[in-house]
Amino acid sequence: MAKITENTRNEVREAVIAFFAEECETDTSQIHDHTNIIRDLDGDSLMFLELIEIFKKKYNLDIELKTIGKYAVKHPVQTIGQLIEMQLLVIEHENRLLELDK
Amino acid sequence: MNEKPIAFVFPAFISDYKDDPSDIVPAYEKIFEAYLEKAAAFADPELLSFHKESNPMLDDELRNQYITYIYGCSCAEVLRNSGVEPAITAGYSMGLYAALFSSGSVSFETGLLFIRKAYEANRKHLPGKQYGMAGVIGLSEKDISDIASRFNLNLALVNRNSDYSFIVAGSSFHIKVFLLKAREEGALHARSLGVTIPYHTNLLSEAAKELSETVYTADVHTPGIPIISVLNQELINDAARAKDEVVKNIFNPFNWLATQRRIFDTGIGIFTECGPSSALRKNSKFIPGAGKFVPWNALLK
Repeated sequence: MAKITENTRNEVREAVIAFFAEECETDTSQIHDHTNIIRDLDGDSLMFLELIEIFKKKYNLDIELKTIGKYAVKHPVQTIGQLIEMQLLVIEHENRLLELDK
Repeated sequence: MNEKPIAFVFPAFISDYKDDPSDIVPAYEKIFEAYLEKAAAFADPELLSFHKESNPMLDDELRNQYITYIYGCSCAEVLRNSGVEPAITAGYSMGLYAALFSSGSVSFETGLLFIRKAYEANRKHLPGKQYGMAGVIGLSEKDISDIASRFNLNLALVNRNSDYSFIVAGSSFHIKVFLLKAREEGALHARSLGVTIPYHTNLLSEAAKELSETVYTADVHTPGIPIISVLNQELINDAARAKDEVVKNIFNPFNWLATQRRIFDTGIGIFTECGPSSALRKNSKFIPGAGKFVPWNALLK
């Protein structure tokens, strides 16, 4: 289980915002925690998948996509802030993510 | 001339016109309008009422195919007018018709004729049930097969877009159950594709026979630019193979992942999607080391 430091938190936040800014051709200054990914950025599931792959590689994570999918069914992600929080949980708990709901 | 060889790839159906090029490429609109008029005269006068902002044709399977075809042909022509020639082409599913036209294998009208005849034959020969297709992202092929067998769903896996993106087809009831179960199993995305024909399944084998009567008597030429088969990833480099591909494409599964890799293996590292959406470009990010997609308007000189 990885420990989430302030540094990790900042890294993830910066990576998520930079990713959506590039994908959605928006300035980073326009993306905030409450920005709705679909409504405000026209984001989609392929972007979500790509972001997961980026973090899997960057943090060498052992997690199946469907584990994240199952978690997302119970904890839907709509905003950038929610997405950052979920990515931090993925990094912290990896394949044990679903145990958080037990 | 191109500095680097480029593959033109053509989408099949589209669900929106978000990336309509007419606003950013002035030359495009004129060419699109000319093709639209031709298609209206040849296939369906109603096409003239097409409007990208409020477009009812997205819900009409046949007209959606016509419009996607017109988009594909127009994009390719704008590129070629600008000196950008493809070294190879491929059509995603029913995008085959635009690939054939773009490679000089069929006329614009023959492409429209194939679209119409295929659609009519599919409708006529489908057993009396409702059908559909679904796209699922985030599950593996084994996950999909497990869901189908656990819930006794008669589904065909008709395309692999990447290791975690698939298309399935079957009766609309089985598709509905599948979508529900796929989400429960952790699919990141699972949605109906909004079509009522189970393309690329053997349910359409009789339709393909009927279509073959049109295809084998049509004026089809050796492609001037090679086309890669999405069915078996072989080169379609003569008229006979082009005809076979049109017929087989109706009722056989295809593999987009293998097709993109195959194109890359021929030495082509740059792809451009000739159409109003960017679905193939987005999907390409999940095919590691298989080339780079460049928006077609970025290639204009």
